[in-house]
Amino acid sequence: MTRKVRVVMAKLGLDIHWRGVYLVAQFLKDAGMEVVFLGNQFPEQIAEAALEEDADIVGLSCLSGNHMTLAPKVVRLLREKGLERVKVFMGGVMAPEDAVELERTHGVHKVFLPDTPMETIVSHMYESVGRPRHQP
Amino acid sequence: MAQKRDLLFNAESVQSIESGCNEWFRTALSEADREAEGRYFSASGIPVKLLYTPADTQDMDYGRDLGFPGREPFVRGVYPNMYRGRMFTVRQLAGLGAPEDCNQRIKYLLDHGATGVNILFDLPTIRGYDSDDPEAEGNVGACGAAVDSIRDIDAYFKDIDLGKVSTSIVTHLPSTSIVIPGMYFAVAEERGTPWTQLAGTCQNDFIMETCVGSAPEILPPAASFRLQCDVVEWICRNIPRWNPISYNGYNLREAGTDAVQEVAVAIANAVATAEELIRRGMHIDDFAPRMSFFWDLHNDFFEEIAKCRASRKVWYQIMKERFGARNQKSLLMRFHVQTAGVTLTATEPFNNIARSAIQGLAAVLGGCQSLHIDSYDEAYSAPTEQAALISLRSQQIIQAETGVVNTVDPLAGSYFVESLTDQMAQRIAAYLSKIEEMGGLVKAVESGWLHREISAYNYKHQRSIETGETKLVGVNYQPAETAQCCNIDVFRYPETYTRQKAKLECLRRERNPRKVKECLEVIRDKCGSGENLYPYTIAAVKQLATLGEIEEVFREEFGLWAFPLF
Repeated sequence: MTRKVRVVMAKLGLDIHWRGVYLVAQFLKDAGMEVVFLGNQFPEQIAEAALEEDADIVGLSCLSGNHMTLAPKVVRLLREKGLERVKVFMGGVMAPEDAVELERTHGVHKVFLPDTPMETIVSHMYESVGRPRHQP
Repeated sequence: MAQKRDLLFNAESVQSIESGCNEWFRTALSEADREAEGRYFSASGIPVKLLYTPADTQDMDYGRDLGFPGREPFVRGVYPNMYRGRMFTVRQLAGLGAPEDCNQRIKYLLDHGATGVNILFDLPTIRGYDSDDPEAEGNVGACGAAVDSIRDIDAYFKDIDLGKVSTSIVTHLPSTSIVIPGMYFAVAEERGTPWTQLAGTCQNDFIMETCVGSAPEILPPAASFRLQCDVVEWICRNIPRWNPISYNGYNLREAGTDAVQEVAVAIANAVATAEELIRRGMHIDDFAPRMSFFWDLHNDFFEEIAKCRASRKVWYQIMKERFGARNQKSLLMRFHVQTAGVTLTATEPFNNIARSAIQGLAAVLGGCQSLHIDSYDEAYSAPTEQAALISLRSQQIIQAETGVVNTVDPLAGSYFVESLTDQMAQRIAAYLSKIEEMGGLVKAVESGWLHREISAYNYKHQRSIETGETKLVGVNYQPAETAQCCNIDVFRYPETYTRQKAKLECLRRERNPRKVKECLEVIRDKCGSGENLYPYTIAAVKQLATLGEIEEVFREEFGLWAFPLF
């Protein structure tokens, strides 16, 4: 039996809006993933947790404007730790052009803006790690 | 002698209407229509019938349940002539970048007819960090203004007469409400504006610190609650026209509750505050007149109106019966309203103008005292000037064009609205009792119960969006094939960090470090005492102690608390 997809989820830095990221974490669990929820964390601790938890995916949430500073830092720190295979996903409130820039030039695998159905997030994540959906 | 009753309908009429209604239901409707009864609910789960008649309000006693505006039980409004006498305050957001930028925005809004201002802060300020703190990285000037010291508040209100403007200082946490409004009061003092002339509100809600927002470093609920009460006590004694607390149902609702929970938790906090201040030797009428509330108006139009009316009724009953308040002002609940940010969609953002306007209308029909109408671009960023102007204009359209402000509580007597108001009041009271049974709100928070309630609501609500049961126009309901054309212009504030950092360097050079240290040590000593901390934080900000320095003392002295869900 294949190992479950492991996701480390965090709110970036000081951002206080936990509703969305906590919901996504619950829906990922429902979809058969293993989720380690860090709460609020800074890039160093997030990258460290990804290493310790042997994560396949890092999920970041930001609704308060630190996405362009802190998210690229997470990607860079993961690379420094040799974790290029870890896919970084992101969700939150930001300008669409920022989402594009994060994906194109900062190594974020995919950014989900508001109104994204949970199913879209789940299927993108499974696809990104090239594994079939775990049947609970 | 039996008490005089003001029933609206006599028993005979009610009986005849009821049998007529039953007959109508059987004969006028198809079987399918009849079967649909029982499948409709308000957003908070109250069954909604196809038709309401006098039979649904047959027990209503006009004098007891409604009364007259400005009179007990205040269901119809808190002032006798409501908006004819005192138009609701148009209070739009102002806060982005550095305080100097916000000063421009405030002046812009005041020049266009705003009568009060809402000042917002960036997250480092909200959570009590200076702009040059490593934890502040990436957030300086985003979503609100950076405020580090008394000089920033001075810059924020440059050339604005503090004696003439009504200012809502959206501090969120008690730990910053004991510092930032203190900066404002100290600035007023420096400018020679007497404290008796200052009007405004600060938010100051321990639920904001412990439940609504998550953060790396949170003060424990009991400590946060103590600071909340310090703020209320000190301001009531010193700044007579200031509302020292705005029980924030709004953000709780945004974090994830229904309308009943929103109101009940806010009132539970007010009850806890009242008990603590009475324990400190104050009388209910010393502070209750200055307590204010903050509601979130969502899409369920009639339920939201009923919520506003019901919340006034519940508050009245508690103040009168439980606390024995005598001052009329203690008995009436005043509230600010903001339209619901969570209902805004990023898809087809212009649709948000319609959503927000309808929610704003509900707020006015519910008798709010002040209003913020959200801007269409808020699912992307804090509002741009153009979007903020449309919100302001929406308010003015309600005030000047719709005519709804000309008569008081125009929906009173609607069988549906009265029935819903009554049921909302009952459900709010029941939820309040549940919290009391747990030993009050501070305990309900410490145990993680409230967090679980929020989380359970969110999960259920999201499921209903995923299945399409909850409809979001343009998103899961009637999505367009081609996206609405809309350029979202987002504020950029990259230079704020540099500007704030330079100002902090300058401040640290110019102030007297020995005096700052002394002030901070006094605060540290007093944290462990039962003494009110406000005089000591004001003394510190006058000596140019920064927000972050004072907060650091709190974090060290009170310790940190782990968010109980994660």
